[in-house]
Amino acid sequence: MSGEKNTNVPVRDLSVKQGFKLSKFLVSWEMVLIYILLLINVVLMVSRTNLYFSPGTIQAIIQSGMDVCPLVLGMILILMLGDIDVSVASTMIFASMATGLCCQAGMSAFVGVIVGIAAGALCGLFNGYFVAYVEMPAVIVTIATSMLFRGIVKIILDVNVLKQFPSFYTTVAWTNIAGIPLSLILFLVMGAVFVFLLQKSRFGRKLYIIGNNATCAQYSGIDVRKTKLIVFVLMGVMCGVASIFFVGRMGGSVSSTMGTGYEMTAIAICVLGGVSTNGGKGKVYGPIIATLIMAFLTYTLGLLEVDANTRKIVTGFILIIAVLIPNVNRQLIANLKLKFVYKGNKNVEALNIKTAAEVKALKATIDETKKDSAMNDADKSAKIKKCEDKIAALQKKCKEQTEIWLREQKEDERKAKERFAAK
Amino acid sequence: MRTNNKSTLSKITESRNFGLVLGLIVLLIVAAIITPSMYSLNSILNMLQNNAVYGLLAIGEMMVIITAGIDISIGATLSLTGVICCRLMAENPGVPGIVWLVLSLVIGALCGAFNGLLVGYFKMVPMIATLGTMYIFRGFSFLFSGGEWWFPHQFTEGYMAFATKKILGIPSILWILIIVFVLAILFLGYTSKGRRIYAIGTNQESAQVAGIKQPRVVFLAMTLCGMLAGLSGMLYTANYATCSYMIGDAYEMTAIAICILGGVSIVGGKGKVDGVIIGFLMMSVITYFISLLPGLSVWSDAIQGAIIIAAVALNKFTERSAEKRALKERSALI
Amino acid sequence: MSEYILELKDVVKTFGGVTALNGVHFQLKQGEIHALMGENGAGKSTFIKVITGVHQPDSGLMLLEGEKITLRSTEDSAKLGIAAIYQHVTAFPDLSVTENIFMGQEIKNKLGIYNWKLMTKRAKELIEPLSKNIDVSKPMSTLSVAQQQLVEIAKALSRDARILIMDEPTASLSRRECEELYQIAERLRDEGVSIIFITHKFEDMYRLATRVTVFRDSQYIGCWDVDKISNQKLIGEMVGRELTQMYPPKHAKIGDVVMKVNNISKEGYFKDVSFDVRKGEILALTGLVGAGRTEVCQNIFGIMTPDSGSIELEGKEVKIKSPIDALKLGIGLLPEDRQTQGLINELPIYQNVTSADMSKFIKAGKLDESAEEAKAIELCQKIQLKAKDISAPPSSLSGGNQQKVVFAKLLNCDLKVLILDEPTKGIDVGAKYSIYEIMNELTANGYAIIMVSSEMPEVLGMADRIVVMRNGRVAGQFDTEGTTQEMILEASLKQEDGRESES
Repeated sequence: MSGEKNTNVPVRDLSVKQGFKLSKFLVSWEMVLIYILLLINVVLMVSRTNLYFSPGTIQAIIQSGMDVCPLVLGMILILMLGDIDVSVASTMIFASMATGLCCQAGMSAFVGVIVGIAAGALCGLFNGYFVAYVEMPAVIVTIATSMLFRGIVKIILDVNVLKQFPSFYTTVAWTNIAGIPLSLILFLVMGAVFVFLLQKSRFGRKLYIIGNNATCAQYSGIDVRKTKLIVFVLMGVMCGVASIFFVGRMGGSVSSTMGTGYEMTAIAICVLGGVSTNGGKGKVYGPIIATLIMAFLTYTLGLLEVDANTRKIVTGFILIIAVLIPNVNRQLIANLKLKFVYKGNKNVEALNIKTAAEVKALKATIDETKKDSAMNDADKSAKIKKCEDKIAALQKKCKEQTEIWLREQKEDERKAKERFAAK
Repeated sequence: MRTNNKSTLSKITESRNFGLVLGLIVLLIVAAIITPSMYSLNSILNMLQNNAVYGLLAIGEMMVIITAGIDISIGATLSLTGVICCRLMAENPGVPGIVWLVLSLVIGALCGAFNGLLVGYFKMVPMIATLGTMYIFRGFSFLFSGGEWWFPHQFTEGYMAFATKKILGIPSILWILIIVFVLAILFLGYTSKGRRIYAIGTNQESAQVAGIKQPRVVFLAMTLCGMLAGLSGMLYTANYATCSYMIGDAYEMTAIAICILGGVSIVGGKGKVDGVIIGFLMMSVITYFISLLPGLSVWSDAIQGAIIIAAVALNKFTERSAEKRALKERSALI
Repeated sequence: MSEYILELKDVVKTFGGVTALNGVHFQLKQGEIHALMGENGAGKSTFIKVITGVHQPDSGLMLLEGEKITLRSTEDSAKLGIAAIYQHVTAFPDLSVTENIFMGQEIKNKLGIYNWKLMTKRAKELIEPLSKNIDVSKPMSTLSVAQQQLVEIAKALSRDARILIMDEPTASLSRRECEELYQIAERLRDEGVSIIFITHKFEDMYRLATRVTVFRDSQYIGCWDVDKISNQKLIGEMVGRELTQMYPPKHAKIGDVVMKVNNISKEGYFKDVSFDVRKGEILALTGLVGAGRTEVCQNIFGIMTPDSGSIELEGKEVKIKSPIDALKLGIGLLPEDRQTQGLINELPIYQNVTSADMSKFIKAGKLDESAEEAKAIELCQKIQLKAKDISAPPSSLSGGNQQKVVFAKLLNCDLKVLILDEPTKGIDVGAKYSIYEIMNELTANGYAIIMVSSEMPEVLGMADRIVVMRNGRVAGQFDTEGTTQEMILEASLKQEDGRESES
């Protein structure tokens, strides 16, 4: 303690690094997410034991949540910049349509997939151009393009449904390899690529820098516009990839009204995964775990016969709570206590904190004394008594002083009021 | 003082509203050439009547955008209010219509207040907060409706009168809209609460120093926005005499588009009611136009999206050219 | 009635664990101009906020005309006639001058409806005696900094302020604007307003104040009559030690011309600017704020690109379209505002240091963080950065150490020319000295330095040659030897007044 209070910080040896701390690691956000995931699993296991252990259940749960996973990965990068993309669902449908139209026209699956991803990239390019080079707010651009892209799909498809898609689409979404869903494997592989991209590469560092301070990034010789454009194009590409998972999940068909709300789920998962919507904060691991949490949660709610619309409410609340959690910290609680318990009087606050600390120390002494085998019982009880008296005296003094101060404060306020009234 | 000598005429031509009015006139002429039937008093009133809720929503949205925020949950608020009012009205046909009007204001205000709590007091990013509440409100709307629809025969006269009853030949929904416009002009231009909304949008730090309680102002703006959305929910159902939980889908987009068209700055601090009124008229003409031409209805989403982008891009480019002009003026002094 | 209109006794204010004011005293006499001085972070800003009711003190007494007062908000202080004009002018840029003046005390009828007509009339009446060139219906953002300050003064006057606090009002004013401000301040004093004048400039203090109070490290140091305390002693009190020498000795050898700027112009900012800088040399770019110095630097560094003219580096003409080009060519910029342009406060120090050139830490496509850390530690030790940990965020450092982080960031790149835009702005006296040492060390190692500075003593103390800019043009070049403050001032002011009289 005393070392930290020393204001004259000497030139320290900067090369001394803080070591790995298990206690810190265990309460990190990613670990909290894993606890939540485990908790949901336990709840499910206990409440529906038969179902949980019947073959294929877990796989089905995981598969059900994988159709958003490419969107989640792309969204991490977008949020990292401090931007947002609410057009991802529309872009995904747009890409699906592009693939579907190619396949309908008799082109090969390979061409279809490439065209789909390219269509996604094109949408991303469109968003990126307006956000990065025309400097329009991402919210507005993507709100508009979400209408525009889906609008184009509506114009082209009207009420028709596209049904010809490469056959591997359904394979991706519905098969297991060695008991592990293929979609999960693909997700983890893509996740690993994104971990490298964001956390290990120069490109990722640039995103952190831009997200935290775009002006400084410019002065540091980073091409902010180009980087932003690339991120939006990447998001578009991921929308194209998502179309594979999505169409497969839907059993190989697409219409213009499908997939609404996927942007919301993707953003909610990212936020739950610890990515800040202000930019510059977060890692890839969190959203990966959060994707699984969302899958299990949705499935569990489904089992509890909660319908899709109610699940929307839950997703909405998760989004809001996940953003609010970092705001609820010690400082907030202290502020609230100051405002309501101590009536905004800092003196009272300080006194109470000091007294509480002293009382705690005395109580610790009591505990120690009780355990101390070297002392005889009479001495022990005498010492304990002394400490207890001290505690009582301290608390009494604190209470009295608090009352005096609060009374003074009230008096001051009254006087002030009179004074102002007179003016 | 060269600046003061500028003629009033050049001031008018430089203003953004002038451009908008010009655009509106061009649009009207084009519309007249393609569909001459558009110009009867009836069809114009009809057009305005059917678009009135957009005007209400846009006024609310405008207040939020001026605080440098955004509210994309208003469509869902509209749906929730509409559903609750319709359901209760259908179950209690004897209750006078004014009760539902008041109820809609209250429900809307509650929804808005929840947003305001999250954004103002808990400092959430407005986009994220209202994205969340949009799903929550829409979900509750479904729960209350139970997936049901309400049809004209279930609507009471007193309920529908608030939208369709004609006073001096003008439907009451338009009267309400006009009252809201007037109140908004008074509130935003001439009261301290209204001016505070501009103040926090233009510079939050200054606002704090000036003793303006930012959370409170944001809370107020979002509550008012929710209130207007609630009102639109009731009026929308009264106007069409149908209701389901799906109403009002993406209406927030239209409201935002109107604001942007009307010159409300998306970064906050700037925007006037008269601009929004002109934006509202333009959007009404466009949507009406689309609905008149056969086969064009599938185009409406795409067109609206394109309009938003074009309007913001236009704002940006005019800003840039104004900057360039200012630089050139300064150059002359070097 | 007390002798003092405002008196503060033993005022304590803490934020969390940080003590911002530690038992501070202050006494303001009726109708005096009282200077308040101290290094940055001495607690002056918190002090004003306590007086104006933005912050409430933890303990201590506040007496207005001998009577105890408690302020709960800025409204309270305004009602008591206390007004403040803050350092960064706190206007609402999109709102009109009228509205800015009447913010918080608008004229309205019983229904709460504003009377704009009356407000505009009153605003005109208030502004006219201060300046004839302000249109009250225009948005605040169209005014110059000096004009905005006048609006703030008008605002204070509209509230019948008896106590006026001015927080470094002259920091970004030209000399002539300063003189106008002095006159207004004196007039207000004669009308009975008591003024607390916070400043870094001794010039302000000598010109205006009768007494001066000094704060250091959140504490009250003392109060003196201005004519009874020497410059040297005052600096000593502010720093806590006598500064025998303000500038470290130079030991660089000046070599050949490294960079040459030929007639560059940028519309709206500057015209036909030419100068050169040599190896091992410090070239000062000075002049009034707004003369185009910062913009010239930004054009050389590629933040903007000049409309015409050329830049030569080691005899070859180079095209610089962006900071990326500039850094590649070996030109670095230490920006004017380190908080928004120089630092990423949320990322660790070492990532800040490497941010301008990460290419050398890439191993097999991957950023090698341990190499980054090692390099950052090496650079930070070289410039004696005081930090807890190389992974700590820069926000945990003092202003001077933050600036050192930005220096380390530049040193990480392989540069030839360093442009330092106000390198000691907002840094306390002690830390300034070590920044000067770093600069001398760099020139000794062959760097060429262009230093933008508004502080005349700094320019004369550090630079080898001086380029003075005035209104977007080069107004004169001087060798430091034999040049006096007066000569530089003359060059930076001369024609400005002539031009004014033309129009």
